[in-house]
Amino acid sequence: MIVGTSCKKYLDINNNPNSVIASTPDLVLPQAITGTAAITNNDYSNGIGADLMYRANAGGFSGFGTVISYDYTNSTFTAAWADTYDNLNDYRYIKEQTDGKPAYIYFNAVSRIMSAYLFGMLVDQYDDIPYSDALKAAGALSPKYDKGTEIYKSIALQLDTAIIQINTGLANALSVTPFTLASDPLFSQNGPNMTAWKQFANTVKLRLIVRAGNKVTFANKNFSTDGFLTNDALVNPGYSKVAGKISPIFPYSATNTATTSSRLPSTYVVSFYDGSKLNDQKRGTVVFRNWPNPPTNQLGNETNPNPPSSPAPNSWIKPSINPTTGLYNTTVSGTDYGKVGIMKDYTQGVPLITAAESYFLQAEAVARGYITGDANTFFNKGIEASYTYLYKDGAGVVPSSGPYSAPVADATSYRAANPTSFLANYNLATTLEQQIEAIITQKYIALNMISMHEAWNEYRRTGYPSITGTGPKETFVSTVSVSTRPDRFPTRFPYPVTESNTNAANVPPGIDKFKTLIFWAK
Amino acid sequence: MRKIFSILTVFLLVITQINAQTRTISGKVTDESGAPLRGITVQEIAPDKKVVATAITTEAGTYSIKVSERARELHFNSVEFVEFSASIVGSRGELNVKLQSKVSNLSEVVVTAGGIRTRKRDQGYASAQITGDALTAAKPLTIQAGLQGKVAGLQISATNGGVNPSFRIVLRGQRSITGNNQALIVLDNIVVPSELLGNLNPEDVEDVVVLNGASAAALYGSEASNGALLITTKKGGAKGSKPEVVISHTLTREEVSFFPKLQQQFGSGSTANFPVYTPDENQQYGPAFDGSLKPIGQPLADGSIQTIPYSPVNGKNSFWQKALSSQTDLSLSTNDEKGSTRLSAQFIDGNTTTPKDKLTKTTIKLAGKRSMARTLEMNYSINYTQNRYDITSQTGTIYAELMQTPAQIQVTDYKDWQNDKYSTPSGYYNPFYRNPYFLLDNYRQYTRNDYLAGNLDLKFSPVNWVDLVVRTGITTRNNSGKSTSDKYTYSDFAKATTHGSYKKTDVPGSTAESFFYSTRITTEFQAAFRKKFNDFNVRFTTGATIRQDINKSLSASVAGLVVPGSFNLSNTLVNPTASESNYKARQLGFYGDLNVGYKGYINLHATGRNDWVSTLNPDNRSFFYPAVDLAFSPMELFTSLKSSKVINSLKIRGGWSKVGQVNLGNSSTYGAYALDPTFSQAYGYPYPAGGGFTLNNTIVSPSLKPEFTKGYEVGFDATWLKNRLTTNLTYYSTRTSDQTVSTSVSTATGFSSYLLNAALTNSKGIEATVNATIIRKKDWDFTVGAVYTQILENKVLAITADISNISLGSGIYAFVGQPFPVIYATAYLRDPQGRVVVDGTTGYPIRDGVNKILGSTQPKHTLGLNFNLSYKGFHLSAQAEYRGGYSTYMNNTTAFDFSGGGLATVAFNRERFVFPNSSYADPLKPGEYIANTNITVRDGGYGFWTQSARTGVAENYVASGAFWKLREVVLTYDFPEKLLSGIKFIKQASISVQGRNLLMLLPKTNIYTDPEYSDNGSTSNGIGVAAIASAPASRFFGATISLTF
Repeated sequence: MIVGTSCKKYLDINNNPNSVIASTPDLVLPQAITGTAAITNNDYSNGIGADLMYRANAGGFSGFGTVISYDYTNSTFTAAWADTYDNLNDYRYIKEQTDGKPAYIYFNAVSRIMSAYLFGMLVDQYDDIPYSDALKAAGALSPKYDKGTEIYKSIALQLDTAIIQINTGLANALSVTPFTLASDPLFSQNGPNMTAWKQFANTVKLRLIVRAGNKVTFANKNFSTDGFLTNDALVNPGYSKVAGKISPIFPYSATNTATTSSRLPSTYVVSFYDGSKLNDQKRGTVVFRNWPNPPTNQLGNETNPNPPSSPAPNSWIKPSINPTTGLYNTTVSGTDYGKVGIMKDYTQGVPLITAAESYFLQAEAVARGYITGDANTFFNKGIEASYTYLYKDGAGVVPSSGPYSAPVADATSYRAANPTSFLANYNLATTLEQQIEAIITQKYIALNMISMHEAWNEYRRTGYPSITGTGPKETFVSTVSVSTRPDRFPTRFPYPVTESNTNAANVPPGIDKFKTLIFWAK
Repeated sequence: MRKIFSILTVFLLVITQINAQTRTISGKVTDESGAPLRGITVQEIAPDKKVVATAITTEAGTYSIKVSERARELHFNSVEFVEFSASIVGSRGELNVKLQSKVSNLSEVVVTAGGIRTRKRDQGYASAQITGDALTAAKPLTIQAGLQGKVAGLQISATNGGVNPSFRIVLRGQRSITGNNQALIVLDNIVVPSELLGNLNPEDVEDVVVLNGASAAALYGSEASNGALLITTKKGGAKGSKPEVVISHTLTREEVSFFPKLQQQFGSGSTANFPVYTPDENQQYGPAFDGSLKPIGQPLADGSIQTIPYSPVNGKNSFWQKALSSQTDLSLSTNDEKGSTRLSAQFIDGNTTTPKDKLTKTTIKLAGKRSMARTLEMNYSINYTQNRYDITSQTGTIYAELMQTPAQIQVTDYKDWQNDKYSTPSGYYNPFYRNPYFLLDNYRQYTRNDYLAGNLDLKFSPVNWVDLVVRTGITTRNNSGKSTSDKYTYSDFAKATTHGSYKKTDVPGSTAESFFYSTRITTEFQAAFRKKFNDFNVRFTTGATIRQDINKSLSASVAGLVVPGSFNLSNTLVNPTASESNYKARQLGFYGDLNVGYKGYINLHATGRNDWVSTLNPDNRSFFYPAVDLAFSPMELFTSLKSSKVINSLKIRGGWSKVGQVNLGNSSTYGAYALDPTFSQAYGYPYPAGGGFTLNNTIVSPSLKPEFTKGYEVGFDATWLKNRLTTNLTYYSTRTSDQTVSTSVSTATGFSSYLLNAALTNSKGIEATVNATIIRKKDWDFTVGAVYTQILENKVLAITADISNISLGSGIYAFVGQPFPVIYATAYLRDPQGRVVVDGTTGYPIRDGVNKILGSTQPKHTLGLNFNLSYKGFHLSAQAEYRGGYSTYMNNTTAFDFSGGGLATVAFNRERFVFPNSSYADPLKPGEYIANTNITVRDGGYGFWTQSARTGVAENYVASGAFWKLREVVLTYDFPEKLLSGIKFIKQASISVQGRNLLMLLPKTNIYTDPEYSDNGSTSNGIGVAAIASAPASRFFGATISLTF
């Protein structure tokens, strides 16, 4: 007996000194939200949307492969799938840990909202995906796939539930654990803002409803009175110039180094700024390096003519302005940069949904009769919100003086500078089709280098911005596309190889990257 | 002329001989190690087989015999040694002989599991013994290298090249899918960590006993399912031998033995359809070489540009150097009535084919045995090994970048990267890859890796039938490392003008420090009882072992130096990052071993052991495993057989065993803490506002238990024709069930892997050994031997209901219903007739959407051949190995086809061609295919060879893994004693020249790599995949001089 006990004691040493084996929703949620921001920026916007819609290969690089051929395999874009489900699992944990715990009702609600946001993004890339069977660990090792339309329906209801939960929480504020920056790096940077969470939920739902059109029968197409996002939904846990803690948007490392980009702006996207299609000097200046003559290329062109090389480190970080000449400096470094535009600062927040996107969604929803309001107002506010986002510095503040201090006035001047174009002046769009083209084209411009996957989704849904030919200013499509579609563009990509290796029985067969449409796609 | 002279001498001597009447011959008889042999019969036998004279050797091994004038030879006989005849023609009255022990002498005593000594006759399982001399003949730097190809069933592969090659040691194929399959290493009866093996001095080894299967090794507990290597070290000379000092020195030259096959026809360029010369391009899809002068790179700041002839040079291969290493060995043995002591040291000053890489290694060992009293005996040894490495951390990168060098570039012209304007990182011609000499100098790694291993073995025998043994051992490894890279700032001109990314990104400089130690302490108590009951000989051994493993590591690094050239963690722009890990595991074992022999011809042996481990849940931590074996020597039973002229001895054997293995971690984690899910900080957390954790991605089954290998083996050992021919044959079969596997699961589960008990594998094979003594005369000795292994079946029978395969890394998989392991990767789409389907317009082959099984990477046939020839003082030996019946996979398409350097890319001279054996879809009849005879690929150069239709298809990079290797050739000359008699203090002297891995023959399809290499590393079961990740394979030539005082 004594031997048995001491033997047990001798062997009972298997306690992990290396990692924690228990956590709490409070500690998982902030990491999960920050993860969602990184995934949105890295895997979706830059990983998927950028090369499809906005960028082209730069000179001096080769081996672009499927980036320019669109000959996607089951190994293309697999990061988004794996990372999203991994991130979703953290929200699943938070939801399970807080179910039936009134004090943690905000955590529960937010896990539903963020899950809806992420599942929506996955459906937009893959259509049918594991949903009802997903995230069950050993409970469903080979999760079955649900229809994209059913998932849209279900997550819209989750968003409704979340808003009700937040309202319940607000009504019992004293007994509910409030959000702080430590638990919510999205809307609680300046104290808790549960209204913003409800607006975010409404905006995600609006995105679903607008995108689904008549393909999905939603149980409830109404929105709570909180309305939609009026400010950019920026995640910022406290990004700083410390290795590993730098904003995923900013290209420099803590040691002031950056790798030169192998990409340039496409000639096509620049044509919406340089006067070819629209004249937008102000946003052109703030978005692109070396404005008014940024080096550009058409995707796929590697040799004829030789494409220009990229400025170091890339074309979307502005140099600082020389205080004496008032002109931009020629070089950028990890210690000297413009703090405006796309790549602002080490500390800049990461947008999940920008205010511009929120307004353009509302404009389209009004145009299509899903909600009431004035489409023209929403359209103009969308352009203003785009200017506002670009003018913000790393801290998210529009400076009170200087060239980038008056976004609303600059947006007004922009419309005036393009007096005949319905793409800039909504009132000139006479048909619904023109209105949609105007809204989606302005959204395309507003999402440039910001939420580029949404531009890819919207093109597939609406066909805008328009492709008018095969020249560099006429199309963003690669010159060496192998696509069989009339627009020579892909329409989706195959399920990841991990699914065919581990869940072969359930993966929908016969997916064709040029023929199999996402349910809402054209 | 010389030959005639020597024949003349013999003739003259014979004449003198015949004139003598009777004479006395005397001398000394020793065994192979020089120890005197007592009780050897020395006889003169007349032609009519009558014994004319007889003498017996004394304790000191000496004899003296009066022989008749007709005597031509003397015969030396004994039960334990091979019969030997020596000519006395020409002898002046002194004849010293060395007798060779019978290789499979069944009454010979060998050490086996648990330190128990048993007679070979009683072993019911396959084992083999390699003597220290055989091990070290070719002066290998490690024991593993010395064992290659010498034992049936033992497969030793060098998985990488360079100054410190790693070896993978597997007996009887692989059983566990993800667990350890490497043989257990037992040093002087103590189970030690595997990595110690490469850090022992081969010269210290007395012998190595290989226990091929689990039935032999079951006593060692949960790691014995993989068989075991029992290493016994030298403890000093035999009783009565004189003190001895041996000094030897070896110089070894190393050179690359295998370069990937590369094309020599086309230089720089990277355009589709029509090749255009591009001066700064590293891809080799430019025009054919024409010898004209062409610029390379881009103009420098001063406007200058390099111009070289546009013709191929062997530039990238000459980067690897021919290296010279030296090795000094020293040993001292003494003995007295009470015991013996041996002190030895080895110093290695090593270089390798990678320039500037250095190893210095020092090993010191003290070992001995001592009788403390009549009933108390002590064995001890302590070994300290110190390794110091100074190597580049970028060997793989350098190799890969050399492969990206166009054939017209003479890489060695760019050595002076600090001063030469065309060699500086800023001025280097290649905008995509860096100067390898810069990488070599700028990225260094310094490692200190020390081992201390000691053991003490006390045996108390209070009465003659009882032995009580206490054994304790400690192994500790102490490692620290520092890696450095200095900062480098590219010139503004390079940053402003050059294509490519790296020249625009300054090297920020970094340094990293790491420390770890691991310590194993083992203590064993054993009681053995021997008793004879009538015809039964009974031995019972019981024991208990206790083992503790501890590992701790710390590391810290900074990326971003402030002051160049100062590599200290404080010289940093950013906060240092640091990490730690700690592991501790314990194990208790209790065992019994019963051996019952009946009349000396039948022996039954049974073992049982129960283990308790700390790494499993309390409910599952205790497990028991038994083993039995039976040996039967029919010749002892049937006396009629004893007089056979053909067969001298025969043993038939069989065994069954069940062994458990806890498969949760690796050799530094011991499987500790693997059961609980963990959380870790992610996405930059912690931030000043607080921490943030994510769930990890592994699901762990709540009831993990050990995996069990059950198996049996049958075989025989026999000697024939006066013991001149020895043979053995073994058939084995094992099944390993309930394997702990970490399976990949759909990431939609929220996790990426699932750790559970599930999989089942089997393994069946035969092992055979034949050794023949062809000639054994006084001056001549000629033996040949062969070891052969065939894996009849080694299959994955099941994983889980949901999962059909497990990735072992880099395209190597365990796949249900397939041999283990297989290459499972991308392949061409093929029509029902097996033709590759091409696109009807472009002519490019189409890739299949699903991966295919492309071959097994486990050699099916392994054959080792040994050859030894001695004439007087000359000894020539050679050892060769063949492996076949498997495939190897090159997992680096960039180096070969993307770069355009690969030989395959010129198969059609870069012209458009019809893809061989292809078809295309019939546009009119869906599902049918038309043979392709006329649709050529759209581009036979860049457009095809660099694109995914070629580089994205793994099938193109799978080749036969077969090889023949001439592993060792050794020629030794022992100076005759006569010559040395003038120099009194030298007892023996020899010189030898030796070569290792002299020749490697590969099939034509393998243009890529040495098939022994494994990109997954020596500890991974994912064998058979190579990349351009370590220095290419080498051959070694050396010379040794050895003096014994």
